[in-house]
Amino acid sequence: MAMTLGGNPEAFSLLVARYDRAVYHLAYRTLHDVEEAKDATQEAFFKAYRSLRTFKTGAKFSTWIFSIVYHACCDRLNRRKRYSNEELPDRADPGAGPEREAIALDEARRLRAAIDALPEKYRTVITLYHLQSMQYEEIAEVLGLPMGTVKTHLFRAKEQLRKLLGVQGVAE
Amino acid sequence: MKYDSDDALDRALFALPLEEPPADLRASILSTTVYRPAPLFKPWELVLLGAIVAVMVWLVVLIAMGGSTLFAASLEKAGSTLVGLLSNVATLAWIAAGGATAIWLSIFTDFQSLSKDAVTRGR
Repeated sequence: MAMTLGGNPEAFSLLVARYDRAVYHLAYRTLHDVEEAKDATQEAFFKAYRSLRTFKTGAKFSTWIFSIVYHACCDRLNRRKRYSNEELPDRADPGAGPEREAIALDEARRLRAAIDALPEKYRTVITLYHLQSMQYEEIAEVLGLPMGTVKTHLFRAKEQLRKLLGVQGVAE
Repeated sequence: MKYDSDDALDRALFALPLEEPPADLRASILSTTVYRPAPLFKPWELVLLGAIVAVMVWLVVLIAMGGSTLFAASLEKAGSTLVGLLSNVATLAWIAAGGATAIWLSIFTDFQSLSKDAVTRGR
């Protein structure tokens, strides 16, 4: 990061190589759309590159870029809400609903389907915490939420996840 | 499989691999950031160009409206104003103070970037 701030463009490409997959993952889990997730990821890195001067020394690049991509995703979700009457979960990939498909899928896909079925706020928290091994403080910083709210969301997300997986387990 | 305990659910979640991004994602990010072609003009160059164009337009309008008389009169007035300003001791003092401040700031900025380089190299 210090090299990037020092004006070394190659250093930024190293940051892209290190974080592009995780950033895309967060975008995809939030938006449920490959093209939109790709655009949001690209937009986030572009914004980060353009605002490198505002990066606080000592801060973590991962937290910063996750925060940027999360806000980009929120903007896209708001735009969707404005232009569509559909409920957000209906935007999920067709056929990816846990009720219909997960039974026949392997464990990982079943879990993914269950995560996809969570409400957006819980899905993001669980994605940030579990899939990217993040700390509560960092999640709170990325999402701009108090730590207590993050903990509550995580608790409820797990609760719903267990419920969803339990239902599927019964169906199996 | 059921996830009755928190640990079992945590283990399963941590074991989930990240989503596979589209193949061209990294290339498209790099092409919009690091490898983006530099703009044709820098902002200060655009400002300078704009100012030059504005002065040229002003001159053309002057000539078109009043012929060479108005143009000459305007030029003479601008010249006398400039001479008047430069012969004023207070104005010259302010220009000197501004120049000195600019030089001092540029030295200070260079010093800052040099120290930042030293810290970067140290790491």
